[in-house]
Amino acid sequence: MDILILAVMALLGLYMAWNIGANDVANSMADAVGSGALSVKQAVIAAGICEFAGAVLVGSHVTDTIRKGIVDPSALASMPGMLEGEPAALLVIGMSAALLSAAVWLNFATWTGMPVSTTHSIVGAVAGFGIVAAGIGSVNWGKMGQIVASWFISPFAGGLMAFIIFKIISRMILGQEQPAKAAIKVTPYIVFFLAMVVTLATIYKGFKHVLKGIDWLTDTHTLLIALAISIVSTIISRLHVKKKLGDKGSLPLAQQLELVEEVYVPLVIISSCAVAFAHGANDVANSVGPLAAVANILKTGTVEMKVPVPLWILVLGGFGIVLGLATYGYRVMATVGTKITEITPTRGVAADIAATATVLICTRMKLPVSTTHTLVGAIMGIGLARGLTGIDSRIAKKIFKSWLVTVPAAAIVCIILFLIGRAFLLDFVRELVLAARIA
Amino acid sequence: MNIIQELFGKSPFGPLVEHTKKVHECVEMIRPLMEALVNENYDEIRRLQDQVSRLEYEADTIKHNVREHLPRRYFMPVERVDLERFISSQDNIADKAEDFAVILTLRKTKLHPEVMDKFFEFVDQIFQVTGTLLTAAVELSNLAEASFSGAEAKVVLNLLKGLNEEEWKADRMARSLSKDVYALEKQLDPITIIFYEKMILTLGSIANEAENAGDMLRTMILK
Repeated sequence: MDILILAVMALLGLYMAWNIGANDVANSMADAVGSGALSVKQAVIAAGICEFAGAVLVGSHVTDTIRKGIVDPSALASMPGMLEGEPAALLVIGMSAALLSAAVWLNFATWTGMPVSTTHSIVGAVAGFGIVAAGIGSVNWGKMGQIVASWFISPFAGGLMAFIIFKIISRMILGQEQPAKAAIKVTPYIVFFLAMVVTLATIYKGFKHVLKGIDWLTDTHTLLIALAISIVSTIISRLHVKKKLGDKGSLPLAQQLELVEEVYVPLVIISSCAVAFAHGANDVANSVGPLAAVANILKTGTVEMKVPVPLWILVLGGFGIVLGLATYGYRVMATVGTKITEITPTRGVAADIAATATVLICTRMKLPVSTTHTLVGAIMGIGLARGLTGIDSRIAKKIFKSWLVTVPAAAIVCIILFLIGRAFLLDFVRELVLAARIA
Repeated sequence: MNIIQELFGKSPFGPLVEHTKKVHECVEMIRPLMEALVNENYDEIRRLQDQVSRLEYEADTIKHNVREHLPRRYFMPVERVDLERFISSQDNIADKAEDFAVILTLRKTKLHPEVMDKFFEFVDQIFQVTGTLLTAAVELSNLAEASFSGAEAKVVLNLLKGLNEEEWKADRMARSLSKDVYALEKQLDPITIIFYEKMILTLGSIANEAENAGDMLRTMILK
């Protein structure tokens, strides 16, 4: 395997991951910073840790969907008139072009302040490559339709879940005559639900993936562990809430509501971290999916159906995201912190739980969904439950428009880059592939 | 830059509560005005009228501030129409309070001893009506926090029921006071009677607008 070409690829993946960190990550912590639960600095550190953990522990699950699910590599191989090693070489060029175009599009979007999804960018780019390289038929349109549908389903599901969770909080706590007293009773259940979502996702998918050899980590055991952790955190939360709100039932309503919000501050931190974790898990595939494919081709010289994602590639992706967060995302986060927002911790928790659960479920179903848009859907859901004092529908429309434009835009950029790459680099890459086969 | 943060509009409810409070400050000036009238202290009336005008102007400033929080593109937990009608009703209350002060400056009128007590009772009743509205409307921030439902909504709806009753009382008092005024037609010159009638009508319209604002508040909650 040529170290130089792999280094170039790694740089591309890193560039993409950097863009994700610069553009997207601030969104995952938006609720925590927006409700004043975390300072900007704390949020950057927390997001960095959670994104990295999510990327490395859970990341690999969606990787092959993007590579193999959208474009069928065998369609490339069965094209007439292909030289030996040419399909593999085309795939290398195509994946590089996809990475670069998605990253460039993202960078452009960040620069112009357009809210685009990293997931949408890479999916569009890979599809663009498939259309030009192997014809429209090579794109798995069934799979593509499923993915596109999930972009609409995931905000809807996130919105519905957020609506229900907030309605429960609103009806059982905020709408009670003594919100402080009600919060003592109800909050532990919400903590239980939150803990279940986070721990199940982390253990069942995360550690199982890293610690493959451990046999006793069966579904039942996983469930038991999640249950144990959830019960412990439920008890802790119960004690904490009781200590904070125990004798506050007779205070004026406004003060009680304020105290309840205070109790939800630690929860919104945890739930925002969960969003960052889910985001890392979901979006790292955008940067390392194509990279894994290329690394495998250059290593073996063949195009395989299943590509193992080496840990170092996931670490690279996670590192890139953290780097983007630390160098540029910091600034985005700072504007988040200084802007007055009208989201309170109870709303933040509801939105975060809904978004995390939706993204993790979609990741599990191997559907690459956009974290940002799921969170937007969740926020809209809370707005519909009359939980937010105002949602800017113009921004919501802007998000929706960028939704529609991203896939074709990334596809077009990718097509151009691929054609250039094929014209200039095909022979060079083919020799690399052939050399790998001999070795 | 950060799109999710941009998604959140500023809350109109905080400034709205400010507006309610400022409007009520205008209404609070009516009693001192009446006292100055009884004492025939017309300089004091002029001074108080200046003060009401300034308060009314401040309320207007807050009103514009609230409107700035309500661009058409905002998706809100209450109907925009109801909220806007609520603001304009409150705005009218402040306007009418200012009108009342202005009326008193127009002419050096004396308050006839026969109607004096009833006049003050009527003023107190008006104050009762707007005070109930104030108590209900300052809960708007809490209502938003409790997403316009549950116990808090019930409390405010009950207050509003009380508001309707108080307004009805004010109406009856206005009628009875008018009768008393006309009963004095032999002792008073017609201009003074017109003047009293003007005062009663203006005060009555304050109670009316307070009721309208209360009705809008109710529709907002019951959306």
